[in-house]
Amino acid sequence: MSDFPVTHNYIERPRYFCSFGGALSTLEAMPDTIPVLHAAAGCAGSIAWGQNGGSGLQVGGYCGGLAVPSSNVGEREVIFGGAERLTEQIRATLDMMDGRLFVVITSCVTEIIGDDIQAVVSDIREDLRTGKIQKNADIVFAKTGGFKGNSYYGYDIVMSAIVRQFADASSPVKKNSVNVLGIVPYMDSFWRGNLEGIRKSLELLGLTVNTYFTADDCLSAIRESSGAELTLVVSDVYGLETARVYKELYDIPYIVSSLPVGPTATARLLRETAQALNLKIDVEKIIEEQNRRYYQALEPLVDCYHDADLQRYAVIIGDANYAVSATRFLLDDLGWIPELVQFTEALSDTQRESIAKKLSTADIQPRLVFDTNASEAGHYLSERYPRRENDLYTETLSPAFVIGSSLDRDLALKLGAPHLSLSFPVANRAVINRGYTGFGGGLTLTEDLLSAIVAGR
Amino acid sequence: MSYLATKQAPKREDRLHSCITFGGTLCGFHKLAGGGCFQDGNREFSQGSICLLLPGIAMINSLKDNVNLLHGAVGCGVCSHSQNANARSGGLSHFGVLKDALWLSTALNEADVIGGGEKKLRSAIIEADRLYRPKTITVVTGCVPGIIGDDVDGVINDVQNEVTAKLIPVHCEGFKTKIWATAYDAVYHGLGRTLLDDPFFQERLIEEEAQRFRFEEQKKRTVNLLNVSSMGKVDEDELTRLLNDLGLSVNIFPVFADPEQVYKVKYAAVSISTCPTHDDYFCKFLEESFGIPYILKHMPIGIENTNDWIREAARFFGREKAAEKIIRTENERLGKALEGYRKFFQGKKVFVSAGEFRALATANLLGELGFEIVGVRSFHHDEFAAGEYEKLKKIAGDFSFNIANAQPFEEANLLERLKPDLFLGHWNGNSTSAKLGIASHVIYNTGLSYIGYKGVFEIARRLFRQLRNPAFNKHISKYARLPYRESWYAEDPFKYIKTPQGGEKHVRLSGNA
Repeated sequence: MSDFPVTHNYIERPRYFCSFGGALSTLEAMPDTIPVLHAAAGCAGSIAWGQNGGSGLQVGGYCGGLAVPSSNVGEREVIFGGAERLTEQIRATLDMMDGRLFVVITSCVTEIIGDDIQAVVSDIREDLRTGKIQKNADIVFAKTGGFKGNSYYGYDIVMSAIVRQFADASSPVKKNSVNVLGIVPYMDSFWRGNLEGIRKSLELLGLTVNTYFTADDCLSAIRESSGAELTLVVSDVYGLETARVYKELYDIPYIVSSLPVGPTATARLLRETAQALNLKIDVEKIIEEQNRRYYQALEPLVDCYHDADLQRYAVIIGDANYAVSATRFLLDDLGWIPELVQFTEALSDTQRESIAKKLSTADIQPRLVFDTNASEAGHYLSERYPRRENDLYTETLSPAFVIGSSLDRDLALKLGAPHLSLSFPVANRAVINRGYTGFGGGLTLTEDLLSAIVAGR
Repeated sequence: MSYLATKQAPKREDRLHSCITFGGTLCGFHKLAGGGCFQDGNREFSQGSICLLLPGIAMINSLKDNVNLLHGAVGCGVCSHSQNANARSGGLSHFGVLKDALWLSTALNEADVIGGGEKKLRSAIIEADRLYRPKTITVVTGCVPGIIGDDVDGVINDVQNEVTAKLIPVHCEGFKTKIWATAYDAVYHGLGRTLLDDPFFQERLIEEEAQRFRFEEQKKRTVNLLNVSSMGKVDEDELTRLLNDLGLSVNIFPVFADPEQVYKVKYAAVSISTCPTHDDYFCKFLEESFGIPYILKHMPIGIENTNDWIREAARFFGREKAAEKIIRTENERLGKALEGYRKFFQGKKVFVSAGEFRALATANLLGELGFEIVGVRSFHHDEFAAGEYEKLKKIAGDFSFNIANAQPFEEANLLERLKPDLFLGHWNGNSTSAKLGIASHVIYNTGLSYIGYKGVFEIARRLFRQLRNPAFNKHISKYARLPYRESWYAEDPFKYIKTPQGGEKHVRLSGNA
């Protein structure tokens, strides 16, 4: 059961940044990369403070926070144009900052005033090519003005720009190598662990995996990503644009799968991948071995799981990645009852339809709501469970669990339910290498859910 | 002055000739700025920073029963995610309720950039009023409406009659000012223009003389303690304790203000600032409009600063004797508590970076604890801190001095030269020193104690803790590097500064550098 999208004249406590912020966060996670902002002074700080409060205590990386080069345009540039200032800034940046790839991105101000960033970057690129600027560096640009959309879209804009301008068209096809798209650093607080979980899963098939942002990734692999055999988009929404660019420019096919959390989703991803690559291996045997390990680890839990009656009704509030993957995990693997799934970002008709299809099963049909006002979740629940206090035999949402962001603690408190932050903002958890993808990720999520229930034990 | 008659507060470049660019030494700066001819410069290379919207909404997110409506692209206001921690803990300590701040965004898109955002803003205000029933709605404008020319004040005037909440415009178009301290003026401006009317229940049909007398007497011993979020509840409590000891009642404004109590700010004997950089705009307004004088001099960070802060307050009320007694007792108790720490800190080198007043006052405190001040960085400079430089010169002599709106590349270069034992920096401002392996401590955090006598002791305890085991930073520095080329550290740290007056640019190198 899915509702029409509820529209508002504003977005309540937006659970994402702007396209500029998504692009910046993406670049901050990329190896040897220096973002160069053509922006007002406050844009960098705004995103740094947003990460500070929402990304599981992670801000920036090698070149992030307030260390990011920025042209800091002001009234003067708004009136006279900022191209000259940008040129000055890029030249000094190449001189001063230690990186291999420099990515210039624009913000609202510089895009509205219409600075010709392409011309500026082309000139600099020419100077790098002819040796007029003697640095071993590449420079690309992306137009990411904040009014264009949210941070997930910003990820796609900047990744597409890198694939178009930086990836090497002459890279030979590399057998059994795949690119993984669809996880946006810092928007997904568990990005590092999630990418590693996917890499580990795909390596079971003997693949070479490019995940762009982990310690196992490097710029040269990103440059050669144009020679991959397949692109995996581990999201129903994010990264699709970039996958299309790989297809268009380098003829790399792509498959779209939801974020693979737990054994069922991961097995599906492995099957689809093996089929797409036409691998001559016994995938089922690999899956069987992983399942054996998974359930062997769960075995000692069985007593307490039943003794304490740890099965729950679930309310899931999140972005497209987590709302889909957490719900599927509860349905397919853990055996809980998802009651309400609320998506907190604006999605197109086609996106909503494909997502709704993924979340309907024959027996259990959670209500799907597409509403950016997360504080309305309580309202949707009371529609499903109207209060009838005088009736001894009334259906209630109990025992319940709220999977969402740290902003959904209020709802959990009202429901008297435990709560786990997965989706942005994750203000109440420190995240370093935890991830929920792959077979092992299902165990981790089980641990975290059950730990929240027994925390007061 | 009466800036409040205008739609928005002027930027500080115009009002105070504030500046953000200097590199050299304290004495060099003094020579330059002392002559009153200091013109701001530029940087050929710069790093991202913050704009007035961030500290502006840090204040706003604390207001009780307020909905903060950001009018701009969806990324303006995401800083609320970190400020929400303060809204939650501060709300709990002030009102006993653990609640998230409530902010909304009109999330202007490409169509709005072309067609204008006024209609959307109007609908958003009406919907927010209906759904949340707040007492106030602050409408904070980002860069986009500033460039496309939305008449935000016009929309607000127009729609005010249709909603129950009081609408408060706060102009925070980031590209318009390089001095983010303009934020304090912008928020004070909005609150001052909108929320100061006496509530209905204050109007009495028949006024009894005894009541009037009581009210006047109460007013004579009430002080406005201004806090724009430069301190948390623990620091408010420390200053309240000291003012209570002087026999004074305290009315704290504007953070965590209850909109129904704001009018009280008009009924005080005097306004006392906790940071002149923050409060001059509103102090002057209260004096002009309601005849409330103000004290705008010291920041009560450090022993002498706190002593002076109390003295100033006491002098106003003719309670100098009581003040000296309090000061004597407090200093004695604190002095004993600090003995061990002072020995440990003696001669250790420290570098400080923060907003101008806070940086200087904290450097003073560190001097009192026995540290050697090797460098200070201020986010900006304006006229209010002149006295602080004098104080610091007396206690610390000359040292490296840098005015910069963050710009950690200059800081990295300075730290490599000066090699301090300890660094104190602002939010998102300690990673440079940490990655260089220097013990570091945050110079501002509303959950920690910094102010008054208690603050001195608590800072000493925390610094001791940092210095006792800096293992985290030592290890980080071996494996995480700063994003600058090696060649940068051999360059003049102020290489990229273009000063109109060609000011002093060299840095005083300390012995081993």
